Amino acid sequence: MDTLTLLAADKFQAPGPSIFDFPPLYAGAPAWLNKPVLFAVVGALIVCVFMWSAFANPKLVPRGVQNIGEIGYIFVRDQVARPFLGKDAERWMPLLLSVFSLILLWNLFGVVPFVQFPIASHIAFPAIFAGTIYVIKLYLGIKHQGFLGYFKNMMFPPGLPKPIYVLLAPIEFLSNLIIAPFTHAVRLFANMFAGHLILAFFSAVGFWFLFEKLTPLGAGLGVLGVIMTIAMTGFEIFIQFLQAFLFAMLAAMYLGGSLHPEH
Amino acid sequence: MSEKERRPEEDGRDFADAAWSVPSYLLSGMLVWGGLGWLLSRWTGVHAFIPIGLILGVALAVYLVYLKHGR
Repeated sequence: MDTLTLLAADKFQAPGPSIFDFPPLYAGAPAWLNKPVLFAVVGALIVCVFMWSAFANPKLVPRGVQNIGEIGYIFVRDQVARPFLGKDAERWMPLLLSVFSLILLWNLFGVVPFVQFPIASHIAFPAIFAGTIYVIKLYLGIKHQGFLGYFKNMMFPPGLPKPIYVLLAPIEFLSNLIIAPFTHAVRLFANMFAGHLILAFFSAVGFWFLFEKLTPLGAGLGVLGVIMTIAMTGFEIFIQFLQAFLFAMLAAMYLGGSLHPEH
Repeated sequence: MSEKERRPEEDGRDFADAAWSVPSYLLSGMLVWGGLGWLLSRWTGVHAFIPIGLILGVALAVYLVYLKHGR
């Protein structure tokens, strides 16, 4: 679609938010059935097949796919689950490992040739994940601390003079129940959205000045565009990994906060 | 901070907790108290209530982070 809009215009046009709109996959398909939805499902299937082949028939001495699976498992357990969930870490590993690997794969789709779309740059996908974590967080908090106890622990940190609570309790309430799940989803979405836009911009610069309108003066700019595309692709892979890690880490943090009140 | 010895993981957890809860506390502080300031300014016509509310909210949010993680 990039190339079509570029060919249609006579001047260079930077890619805008329209690069996130996709038509239905084929003529007569329902409007929601587009490329991001297709690859969201493909990503989920790849994660299922990968986990199945890694752990369905585990050996004491891991070989092949099981090796890679165990590296991922140990990473999530030691860096994400244990610091926040302590002895409950193993119980929550299925959720955290699934969330981490699916989001990581969806993010990496942003730099996989021909796919080239980070699924989480459509906010519906991270919003569903953050919403799910939010519901589990509320359920666990009310189950483990009681309905009133949960809100009391959340809004009234102990050992303060009473008037201070009037000032602080609304901030705690808004922060924990509304802002936290919102930023949880937006952090992933915004990083993927901006990353995709940056990659699209630099590759469009390279394509336009080297292939569409090759001029002696513009060629240097085109080369710069290509170099920046390569550099930003490397940077994006780092960000894609970091955001998947952060999303899982914050999920573990919210669940841990509900399981063990801080004071 | 409690008297009993803390393991390094717990320090790490505390640090991460603090670091990641700061933005949502700051936002919430500004929304709650800046929002109240906005309501007051609409009610009384004194526009100064908006910045007063915003700054009070940020200050309270920083104080809250200190209370929960800094003591």
